Amino acid sequence: MSRWRYLLRRVLLSIPVIVFGLTITFVIVRMGPIDPVSAILGPEAGAAQRTRIEERLGLNQPLWEQYIDFMTDMLVPWSFDLGQSWVIQPGTDVTALLSSYAPRTLWLGFWSILIPIFVGIPLGFYAGLNSNSWGDYLASFGGIVWRAMPNFWLAIMLLAFLRLSDKFLFGFRWDTFIVEIDSLVGQPPLDFIAVTDWVSLGIISIPVGIYFSATTFLASFKQILPAAIVLGSSLMGNELRISRTAVLETINSNYVETAKAKGLRSRVIVWKHVFRNALIPLVPVITNEAFVLIGGSVIVEVIFGINGLGYLFYQGAIQGDFPLVSSLMFIFILVIVSINILQDFLYTILDPRVGYQ
Amino acid sequence: MMSVENEFDDKTLRERIAENPRPAMLWVAGLVVLMALELGSIAAAVLRVGSVVKFAIGGIANTPSWMAGFVSESLGSIGGTIAYGLTALALLVIAAIVVKWLFVPFSIVDRLGLELGVGKADVVERAIVTAVVGVVTLLFVATPLGAAVDAVIGALTQGLESISSLQTLTSRETIPNQGYQLPDGSWEGTWLGLSPAMAWGARVLLIYAYAFGLLAWFWRGYNVFRNHYREADWTPRDDSVNRFRNHYWGVFGFVVVFVFVVMALWAPALSPVTAEANLYSPYEHEVQYYDEEIEDVASIPHGEANLETRSVGGDSNVGLMSYDKYDRFHPAGTNQDGKDLFTFLAYGSQVSLVIGLLATGLMTLVATALALMTAYYKGLLDLLTVVVSDSIISLPRLLVVLLLSVVFMEANHPIATIYDGGLLLALIFAATGWPLLWRAVRGPALQVAEEEWVDAARSYGQSPVETMKKHMSPYIAGYMLVYASMTLGGVIIGVAALSFLGFGVQPPTPEWGRAVYEGRPYVPTSSWHTATIPGLMVVFLVTAFNALGDGIRDAIDPESDASGDEAGTSAAASGGGG
Repeated sequence: MSRWRYLLRRVLLSIPVIVFGLTITFVIVRMGPIDPVSAILGPEAGAAQRTRIEERLGLNQPLWEQYIDFMTDMLVPWSFDLGQSWVIQPGTDVTALLSSYAPRTLWLGFWSILIPIFVGIPLGFYAGLNSNSWGDYLASFGGIVWRAMPNFWLAIMLLAFLRLSDKFLFGFRWDTFIVEIDSLVGQPPLDFIAVTDWVSLGIISIPVGIYFSATTFLASFKQILPAAIVLGSSLMGNELRISRTAVLETINSNYVETAKAKGLRSRVIVWKHVFRNALIPLVPVITNEAFVLIGGSVIVEVIFGINGLGYLFYQGAIQGDFPLVSSLMFIFILVIVSINILQDFLYTILDPRVGYQ
Repeated sequence: MMSVENEFDDKTLRERIAENPRPAMLWVAGLVVLMALELGSIAAAVLRVGSVVKFAIGGIANTPSWMAGFVSESLGSIGGTIAYGLTALALLVIAAIVVKWLFVPFSIVDRLGLELGVGKADVVERAIVTAVVGVVTLLFVATPLGAAVDAVIGALTQGLESISSLQTLTSRETIPNQGYQLPDGSWEGTWLGLSPAMAWGARVLLIYAYAFGLLAWFWRGYNVFRNHYREADWTPRDDSVNRFRNHYWGVFGFVVVFVFVVMALWAPALSPVTAEANLYSPYEHEVQYYDEEIEDVASIPHGEANLETRSVGGDSNVGLMSYDKYDRFHPAGTNQDGKDLFTFLAYGSQVSLVIGLLATGLMTLVATALALMTAYYKGLLDLLTVVVSDSIISLPRLLVVLLLSVVFMEANHPIATIYDGGLLLALIFAATGWPLLWRAVRGPALQVAEEEWVDAARSYGQSPVETMKKHMSPYIAGYMLVYASMTLGGVIIGVAALSFLGFGVQPPTPEWGRAVYEGRPYVPTSSWHTATIPGLMVVFLVTAFNALGDGIRDAIDPESDASGDEAGTSAAASGGGG
């Protein structure tokens, strides 16, 4: 099977996965022990209100019709409709909510993937290259414990540490370090970059004036940094462990032996032969973490007071905004499924030996 | 049969013990002594297991009528009756499978001398057992037999209750630690007049000494069996056990897990205060203390005393290893309500372990059964399982778990009240977690299904169930153990995270995550311990389960290439981001 046919099959196989995932969401929300209308309205609500909402949501129809409506709204492109929020911001389209909440989550997710890559992988490579040294033991043990820490606890500890940073770090104050931030928790300012001027060339417009504020950027980075470290903690631990084993495996492989026998300098061996091959098993680790990032963003965003998608989902769930929750769930399913396909695609490029099945 | 002496002889274990009874007798005598010291607790444990079983059977027995009610709402009473019958039949079939598996080691079809094909014989066998179970159930319900059995059980329960009131070696009453200090510095009411801290320490030491002694005695029993009674001198498992013993990281994990298990089992005796007085009804239990104003011994309800011993930062703080003003000793300080934190932690370990083990057990069961079946039958079943498991994995786990527990708890579903939501959590985690386990063992299962011995068993006429059970499952059991122990850590983190968000185990049942949530504002203050210690407990326990998993993996398969496995379990081990 060629690479493209393999990928096509992969995409086709993901369709039943999405359909079934949506069905599970439907079953939980509409057929679960709680009915969506009373979740929206709360226990004391008039019958008139109830019928109105039932009509708007189509809950007065038979279950199978509700199911078909639900699925076509989400899946069929020409009747695509994510619906509206009912409790959090009544009457607002979910798409509008997404565009205002998603950037903060993306900003958080970006750093919580990037930071572990630049910390976890180098540490793991170091541990693998110096295996069974004290440095290796320290890094490995640290990685294991770091991974076992629950995010919610780590977040609280980190916040307390930063709040008392002048006590622990001899007068070093985190809140005034480089740029001052008002509070350790809260929204990161995302207005550090903006387009001020557009030039139209026929039908396409090109941004020419770009506004960029380094101070706001730094403040934003500083605001998101603790949250990103917490959210990326398990990712970092995994990357450390796996890059360590991967380096150990490549170091003992035949082609490295050959390179050594040829008299290649060890620096060249490490850079050209060990690192590149050791990176392959890290691909699924990083992509796998998409699950963790989406799930974990709830806790981290709630604790750090970041108004992102995880926070929105949490609020929607506890306040009974089930139409919003099921639409968000659909978005998350889409993201995860596409990341999975991307992962398989990357694999076929990085390691042509992988079997297409 | 082989005719080599002392090897592969046909003697049963019973015959081998009869031949050389001394080592076995010695070991059993030691066990009896150890057990006799704890007779009361054992009787209490049997009673508790009995009541759980009774509760579960009651719940299961109610499902047909529950189903009937559910169906008759939409399909009318005839539909309800049919649903009742079908559910009852399904339950009988399940019960029959269990009965056959536990109590009928031989084939009834063979005994009856019926000549049938392999597939048919299985069906007939099941049908016979189901019929017998059905008749017995009817007898119980419709004749006085049921009442007679009830009476016997009642008498047994009474007997056990009187035994359970016996004092045991490791109970709180043997070494009491609660007392009050007179002005001259001496302690009243504690063990040997020691200070409460010393008395509590002595009790903890005694409990752990007993528990490790028991463990060592079972290890000795295994050795006795190996040296004197096992037919083979050597089995591959011996090598695994030896490898594990030399795997320090794995042994460390095992020891820590054992420490936590003992903490959970002995929580009533390890905690400095009883759970009733500390967690559940503090205003109905009193504590005696020496009041300096009236210069006499006074008593005050725990609840009122707690108001003065809260750890909320500043001056109002009772830290680690300290006494409060009512002479109560707090090994881990008090929490923000003034309650003893160690008691909370000890009972919290019970909750975490019970939920974790229950969820992981269910997951393992489902994943193993599916892995065996998909590997044996392949084809459509395999494809279906792939789609279903991929779909479940594609839902962000913590979010689904959160959504499910919100849905059940807001609706006050009866299942959410059992164990203050603990059972619900275990079921939710099992339902969302099995695909990860199934994926992890799918490879090994497919491999073993290709082996010649499986083919041989099939052509020899072994039934599929027997083939899977005897010839395939031992091969994947080791992998299962590794992944299960790593998943367990993830479940514990997940439960704690959910309780942190307010949708896990509800108060007053103690849960570590909730303690972190409640103590969260005081971390930067002098009462830092209220949130820090419960979190550390989670870290220790999860690290230990991961270490145990590493150890078992290296023990069963020293050549295993670790990188592939780790990618699979990484998401599981970190609990979906809790």
